[in-house]
Amino acid sequence: MDLKLLYTASVISIIGAVALWRLIRPGGLSWRIPAAVLALAAFVGLLANVGLALAGESRRPEAFFTIFSVIAIASGVRMITHHKPVYSALYFVLVVLSSAALFLLLEAEFMAFALVIVYAGAILITYMFVLMLAQQTGDPGQESGAAEYDVNPREPTAAAVVGFIMLALLSSMIYDGVADLPVPSSAQEARVATWRALDAMPARQREIIARVAPDAQTVFDEQGRMLRLRDGRASIEVIPSGSNQRREIELGDEYMPSNVELVGLDLIAKFPVSLELAGVILLMAMYGAVILARRQIELGEDEVREAAGLPRASFEALDIEGAGPSGGSGPSGASGGATS
Amino acid sequence: MMPLLAQAAEFGGLELGHYLMTSAVLFVLGLVGFLTRRNMIVMFLCTELMFQAAAIAMIAFGRFHHDLSGQVFVIFILTVAAAEAALALGLVVLLYRRKETLSAEAWSELREA
Repeated sequence: MDLKLLYTASVISIIGAVALWRLIRPGGLSWRIPAAVLALAAFVGLLANVGLALAGESRRPEAFFTIFSVIAIASGVRMITHHKPVYSALYFVLVVLSSAALFLLLEAEFMAFALVIVYAGAILITYMFVLMLAQQTGDPGQESGAAEYDVNPREPTAAAVVGFIMLALLSSMIYDGVADLPVPSSAQEARVATWRALDAMPARQREIIARVAPDAQTVFDEQGRMLRLRDGRASIEVIPSGSNQRREIELGDEYMPSNVELVGLDLIAKFPVSLELAGVILLMAMYGAVILARRQIELGEDEVREAAGLPRASFEALDIEGAGPSGGSGPSGASGGATS
Repeated sequence: MMPLLAQAAEFGGLELGHYLMTSAVLFVLGLVGFLTRRNMIVMFLCTELMFQAAAIAMIAFGRFHHDLSGQVFVIFILTVAAAEAALALGLVVLLYRRKETLSAEAWSELREA
């Protein structure tokens, strides 16, 4: 591992951290635009550095990957810097959508659509509902109409330093670790493994037989498997009716199990207990949400008046009641004892 | 339906590194946002951003190793995120009803000392 690359990565991380620090703190557009450009340049520099570290040359990343990751990170930055929480939530929807696109590039179609439906469609809408329920009236002093605690960040310098340390750590781990990973299985082996998943799907097998060889008898091999695999190609062996000559029919790629089927099979076959646990977690969350939502907060008269901007009604009475006897019992009781 | 897993666009260590770097940057953004924002709801949104970054890393590793466990794990991440959103937002609504503010500092009396 070249130390020079690590230094470059650290310098780029520092630039990114400074830009982020500038973006977090409230400021005018004249500060924000250069900082945003600097942050973007830092991210692209980090990607180029990955290429240098792992391939020995500055290979450009794939075009779609670049587009969607830049969208994801730019809207992530906007999400943590925007002064209005509703806009933050909407920018997070953009992060979710662009990472769904990244999932598509990673050939995880099911997860991409599940992400859009569950995250962007359900979870984020819940966030929006709560934001609307807890609508803040803006501070009159702020011209943007945002609340004071949304405008002024908490400890931006310390957070930028923590972020820089974390990013430098993670990037050095990527440079060092990814090169040492075991070589992945070849595309050929992956094809065979994907076809082999069909052995566990009898209904799908019957469907394929009905489509490919409806009036022939299919020959299964001695292990009860339907597919014959040769060089990553799959075929089935059939005996057409009215003859006893065996014939091989090659299966096209359209009969290969799709991503949804493979994920479903993995989920059921490899992780059944985790699936049950996920169900229990969801049930408990539902119970918890119902119990929390049903609890009524007893607002006393003071809280009601305070929320309405009125002075506390019972404050003085309480003070007199509390201070009267206790204040009297101390010194006056002692002095009373001395005089008698 | 095209089985994309076997189509083998080139995906080696370099591509994995690119995805991991994106994931790392998103995670750091979520962390910085959690530290700096003072609005309770936005703080929870930032944890969701960190979940998102972890999901990208999982799926990239799964693609690298031709293993679907990464995608299955993301299903569980989604489950936990949904449960967390339901509970956390219920709590935030309760807290908001008490103090009429979303500022996290309104509750700093809860900490020790």
